[in-house]
Amino acid sequence: MKKLYIKIIKFILLALFLIFALFPLYWIILTSFKPVYELYTFPIRYWTNNPSLYGYRKLFEFVNFKQYFLNSVIVSILASFVSTFFAMLSGYVLSRKEFKGKYALVLFLFFSQMIPSYLIMVPQYVMFSELKLIDKLISIIIVYSGIGAAFSAIMARGFFDRIPKSIEEAALIDGCNEFQTLFKITIPLMLPGLSAIMSFSFVNNWNELFTAVMFLNTSDKYTVPVGLYSIISKAGIQWNVLAAGIVIALLPTIFVFAIAQKYIIAGLTQGSLKD
Amino acid sequence: MRKRSFILLMILPTIILISFIIFYPTISGVLLSFKNYSLYNFGNIQWIGFENFKEIFSDIFYIDVIWNTIKWIFFSVLLQLILGFILALLMKEPFKGRGLYAGLVFYPWAVSGFAIGLIWSWLLNGQFGVVNDILMKMGIIEESINFLSDPTIALYSVILVNVWYGIPFFAIMILAALQSIPNSLYEAAEIDGAGYFTKLFKITIPYIKPTLVNTVLLRIIWVMNFPDIIYGMTRGGPAGSTEILSVKMINTVFYESNYSLAAAHGVIIVLILLIYAIMYLKLTSKKEFSI
Repeated sequence: MKKLYIKIIKFILLALFLIFALFPLYWIILTSFKPVYELYTFPIRYWTNNPSLYGYRKLFEFVNFKQYFLNSVIVSILASFVSTFFAMLSGYVLSRKEFKGKYALVLFLFFSQMIPSYLIMVPQYVMFSELKLIDKLISIIIVYSGIGAAFSAIMARGFFDRIPKSIEEAALIDGCNEFQTLFKITIPLMLPGLSAIMSFSFVNNWNELFTAVMFLNTSDKYTVPVGLYSIISKAGIQWNVLAAGIVIALLPTIFVFAIAQKYIIAGLTQGSLKD
Repeated sequence: MRKRSFILLMILPTIILISFIIFYPTISGVLLSFKNYSLYNFGNIQWIGFENFKEIFSDIFYIDVIWNTIKWIFFSVLLQLILGFILALLMKEPFKGRGLYAGLVFYPWAVSGFAIGLIWSWLLNGQFGVVNDILMKMGIIEESINFLSDPTIALYSVILVNVWYGIPFFAIMILAALQSIPNSLYEAAEIDGAGYFTKLFKITIPYIKPTLVNTVLLRIIWVMNFPDIIYGMTRGGPAGSTEILSVKMINTVFYESNYSLAAAHGVIIVLILLIYAIMYLKLTSKKEFSI
């Protein structure tokens, strides 16, 4: 009897958490498909019988959203790939080797995590404008790679720690050198970990706003968050258009998150917080 | 010798990249905070000592910004922790569809803070907002609430949204820690006749305490450095009621275009974080760093 009672309470609570999490998503999707005349009507409508693609159409006519999306894809994939690759190399050494200055290096990585990105964004801007790289996607690709590298290296170390050393030792005895061992033996075993790290930085890069706002000035260079930012700055923008933009902006991260969720969670918990 | 060159080859790219992207700008950011570099002053950039800091500390509203920041951190992290903990406890025992449930209930974590801010500013809109409509239909309120335009409650509205965003993170961390508790502990306690709450407070919480401590302490840094949600909702308004330190700094860059003053704000934030981090290291006193 008591068991059933607990089950029902648990079920209700789980349902409440789910509704709390999902309702905003439902509402923004609904809004994105609402025709203009239903946006500001009373009573508020929780469903629409006249779904309209107006919001989405306007989004691609009014602003160059296709270009923003493409820019974001390029930036996020390249930056997360670069930072993951660098992190893989340094994470491996941090996990496997003992050397002078290792403690300082870990400290270095740790403290670079603490520096808020908006403190350094102005000096970065000055630096990149001296290099004549402002308003070019390459500038934020480099910035995102650097910011992602520290976190990713720490995560990568945790993943490498979980791969038994004995496998590598066997390969070394068989005559592989260290590079061969790393690329032929260890990295294939690390693929789940690396995909977790890469998708984690992809999500971060995809969502980054402030550096991109500062660095990208012309509309055809905007990333998706900058595009959304510019939409709300324009007067008279309608909520169904903005909602459509948000829905499209959400798709890649939710997709990546859904696929990599298992790895991300494993990476965050076992790879990072070691007690 | 070969060993050393291997190590160098592996770690140098990361060190160079991070030095170039984070450390060099940090140093020039600190230097910038002692200059008078702003959009209106390109030709005449000079060393002005502590003027920017004096300006910040003589601003009578600065104390409000600090106070907002403290409230923002305290309530956000506390509620994220409590609700995340409850969610993790609910998800601890396997049930049918738990994987799918996790994917759905954890998704807010993958959404950009700025987009979250936009979504919720629409949900909480005083005139057309659905939250008001639901609360009125349920009979909880009689008149619609101006969640974001009323300075007395705007901060709590943005905190609510930050809680929504942060629950998954805590739930994920705590859930993983819960999975590592050996079942034998509970079995032994059950033989001794322990009830649910006895087990919770005598076994579960002590066992996962390191995770709780780590997660909370690191989360505080992130929440302090997280202007995105507020930026999407209010940009610090109305009347500065949702302005926290990081938002104040962003506004100094984007609206006032006073880059040196903004850098000074940033330096203060970093100093606070540094003191905090030292306390954190003392508290956890471990040589193995993690994030």
